Amino acid sequence: MTTDQLLVTLLLALPIGGFALTALVGRRLYQRAWIIAVGAIVATWLIAMYLVYNTLFLNAYGAQGLHFTLYEWIPAGDFRIEANFAVDNLTAALLIVVCTVGMLVHVYSIGYMAHDPGRWRFFAYLNLFMFSMLLLVLADNFLLLFAAWELVGLSSYLLIGFWYGRRSAALAAKKAFLVNRVGDVGFALGIMAIWTTVGTLNFPEVFERIPLLAESGVIQPWQMTGLALLLFLGAVGKSAQFPLHVWLPDAMEGPTPVSALIHAATMVNAGVYMVARANPLFVQSPSAMWLIAGVGIFTAILAASIAFTQRDIKRVLAYSTLSQLGYMFAALGVGAFTAAIFHLMTHGFFKGLLFLGSGSVIHGVHDEQDMNRMGGLWRKMPITHITMLIGAIAIAGIPPLAGFFSKDEILGQAWKNGFVWVWAIGIVVALMTAFYMFRLMGKTFYGPSNVDPAVEPRVHESPRSMTVPLLLLAIPSAVLGVALGFPIGAGLIEQWMEPVFEGANEVLGRGQAEPFQVLGLDGFLAGASVAVAVLGVLAAMRLFGFRVPLLGLQAKPRPAVVERLTDRLRPLYTGSFHKWFFDDLNDLIFVRAGGLVARGLWWFDVHIIDGAVNGVAGLTQRSGRGLRHIQTGRVQNYALGIALSLIVVAVGYFVAGGR
Amino acid sequence: MSQSLDAYLVLASLLFCIGTFGFLARRNAIAMLMSIELMINAVNLVIVAFGAFTPELADRASVIALIVMAVAAAEATVGLAIVIAIYRNRRTPLVDEYHSMRE
Amino acid sequence: MALPPTVPYFDIAWDDLLFLTFGGLMLAAALGVVLGRNIIRSGLAMILSFAALAGIYALLGAPLVAAAQVLIYIGAISVLVLFAIMLTQSKSGPASLVFHHQAWAAALAAIVLALLLVSMVAGAEWPRAVAERVHTATGDVARLLFDEFVLPFEVVSVLLLAAVIGGVFLAKREDTDVPETEAGARQVTLGSEPGGASGRAASGIASATIVAAEDLGRRP
Repeated sequence: MTTDQLLVTLLLALPIGGFALTALVGRRLYQRAWIIAVGAIVATWLIAMYLVYNTLFLNAYGAQGLHFTLYEWIPAGDFRIEANFAVDNLTAALLIVVCTVGMLVHVYSIGYMAHDPGRWRFFAYLNLFMFSMLLLVLADNFLLLFAAWELVGLSSYLLIGFWYGRRSAALAAKKAFLVNRVGDVGFALGIMAIWTTVGTLNFPEVFERIPLLAESGVIQPWQMTGLALLLFLGAVGKSAQFPLHVWLPDAMEGPTPVSALIHAATMVNAGVYMVARANPLFVQSPSAMWLIAGVGIFTAILAASIAFTQRDIKRVLAYSTLSQLGYMFAALGVGAFTAAIFHLMTHGFFKGLLFLGSGSVIHGVHDEQDMNRMGGLWRKMPITHITMLIGAIAIAGIPPLAGFFSKDEILGQAWKNGFVWVWAIGIVVALMTAFYMFRLMGKTFYGPSNVDPAVEPRVHESPRSMTVPLLLLAIPSAVLGVALGFPIGAGLIEQWMEPVFEGANEVLGRGQAEPFQVLGLDGFLAGASVAVAVLGVLAAMRLFGFRVPLLGLQAKPRPAVVERLTDRLRPLYTGSFHKWFFDDLNDLIFVRAGGLVARGLWWFDVHIIDGAVNGVAGLTQRSGRGLRHIQTGRVQNYALGIALSLIVVAVGYFVAGGR
Repeated sequence: MSQSLDAYLVLASLLFCIGTFGFLARRNAIAMLMSIELMINAVNLVIVAFGAFTPELADRASVIALIVMAVAAAEATVGLAIVIAIYRNRRTPLVDEYHSMRE
Repeated sequence: MALPPTVPYFDIAWDDLLFLTFGGLMLAAALGVVLGRNIIRSGLAMILSFAALAGIYALLGAPLVAAAQVLIYIGAISVLVLFAIMLTQSKSGPASLVFHHQAWAAALAAIVLALLLVSMVAGAEWPRAVAERVHTATGDVARLLFDEFVLPFEVVSVLLLAAVIGGVFLAKREDTDVPETEAGARQVTLGSEPGGASGRAASGIASATIVAAEDLGRRP
């Protein structure tokens, strides 16, 4: 085993070791329950950064990346699955987000969870999640990916339901788990289909054979579409796309660091990662790609419209996450894989930042999440305010912050690849995104204070373990876009992802990207997205207020105007506020109708199945009661039985032997 | 008659069956143990009889018979000790009163 | 005084007469053991049965086995059984209590088994059915016992030791859970220590066997 292989193994061993140790002795560490978990993750981060540097900057493992087998996992006849791992450019890009955000969230949690008696459990779960997520990005075959897929689902379930004493948290955890199951069934079926059609589950071999098999007609186009859609169903579940998006907003019941780490920056990206990883498979089916783009952009606008009216600060961010994930899937669907991964990275940082910021706000106003009971916090929580402002500008897509580059890349690619309708909807979503983000900022930081008067004097800036991660996350949120995406279309990210998506681009007929033309189509598209973003921001500032003394900017909120607008758009408002009634629809279809079916089945179970079982049991019982009399407990009865049986056997032997 | 192996074997069979009957029919634990002794003696008789009619096995038959006797002695010791122990608890030597196994 | 080759008036060989006498005696005594209503008489009948069997052993040309039969069965086991009988007999119960309810079934089983065994003996072709009987030289047995069979011999001695210890342990009275006065009273009524009796008898058997065997070993 080479040093690099050992490091990759350590990358997995450290978090799982941290999980085991924290689970075993964490309770005894009391206030210091975090010490093992955070230590393990900091070490993991260092190793990951070393590997990322080797992969992306030194290109130490070549274009194909580092592949190795740790051991043979399932040796079952012809079905042999190895525990094999890979570090290539795509994995390295994911490692940057996962490990950095993961590490900062761990540090942040030291402060955030300081007063929770179950903090040892929390850190153990966080480490388990880090292990699962790293396994997910490092796995080099579909089955290992699936195992990690389920493990992140498990950690997510445990962490959403962390405060299991609260009924809503327990229900949200269950909902997340069940909705994910729907997607996972598709994913599992897709993996089985790959096994039966391709005959292997190892990524390099599958992706090498898929184009050949498609070309030779062994896999028909409809089969390929089915395969892609089954895998996509898994991604839809994990990344909370329409119609399986309902679990993510409820998942905000978990502690805020969890929302930041799992439900914004890492786990929900697993679907995007999986589709990007399996790009050679997806590009074989144009209709599947079209559907992915459609689902993605529909989710984007649906979620953005819901985010308009939500009052819970974390729910706004949750719908924003849905919307941004929709963007990523739209990018994947239009064939802009690089743009999707780029947006995944930038979104991971700025959405992590926004969530941690919202956690800081919630912490500061003593566990209040309703934005109508906040306001005027910019003076009392300056660091939180500044960092969240950076995050909001980044997500709104105003240059030169990170969001602009990745979002513009997606919209530009959509136009250029002939998906004008995706571009058109996308630009509306960009407008909405800018608007609802600054609505959030205005309601939270600028408007008049609606904080509970009892809490008002005690509102405070969060401890350093929480503000330092915010500051550290603000840096990549601000500069990552420039660092990776400039010049547009030929940035560092393009170079990194080029070997990964080379084959896909060839199949789709994409040549080298042309240089960016400021006065051509590119300039127009970029200008359009900046324009709508600025429009959205300005509208929100005008309605909900804004104030940055440093720049001399100030705007008073206009609640009366908001009121009038709301009244005029009452049906839309009601629909948006009730999340377009998806939960009620699910309730009607699955809970009510399903309940009727279940009641019928229950009757069948009780009267027919249980009847049969109870009948058998009753028969056994009655015969047993009868037979009990021959068990006298007297040795001599038994001895007589032995003697008689012996005679019967001997006589039988003679009779049979005499013939 | 005494020159025929069959005679000895028939004798041993009858002794063995008497022992079997005693073991199955007697209620007294000690009587049952005595019946076991009868059966062991029947088996021993068979061994010695076979030895006596098979010249090359004669010595070995005697050795085996002696060892069987020693083991039977050990069996009798432990068996009777158990009977006495049970008797002390249950105040009866009658085996059909020992039916705790039933519960 | 010389005996005629056959028994006068009956015209059968002396050996046959002895065989019939011993065999009949043995079976009759054995029936007495299993059918007798008085358990002490049963014990005494058993001694008779063992003694007759010793005679048959002698007739079969195995004098050492015959001697051991007398020593071990009559001298030790029977005594042990009689001790046990005396320790466990309260008062002789009614006659109907001697046999189990299943006695008729047991009798049937025993008769069928006897028929089965006899028919088997009669039906079998023994390789040397009419071979000359051999007389066993005691010296040869001893040499065999201490040479080829020395390991089983030693194992048997260990087994006997274990039986002695086990007998003592099982039959030992557990004083701990009995109040002192009651234990003392019971000691008086029973007269002797049952565990001690059976244990002592067992050790007697063991030493008798070993002493007899060692005696024989030294003789050649």
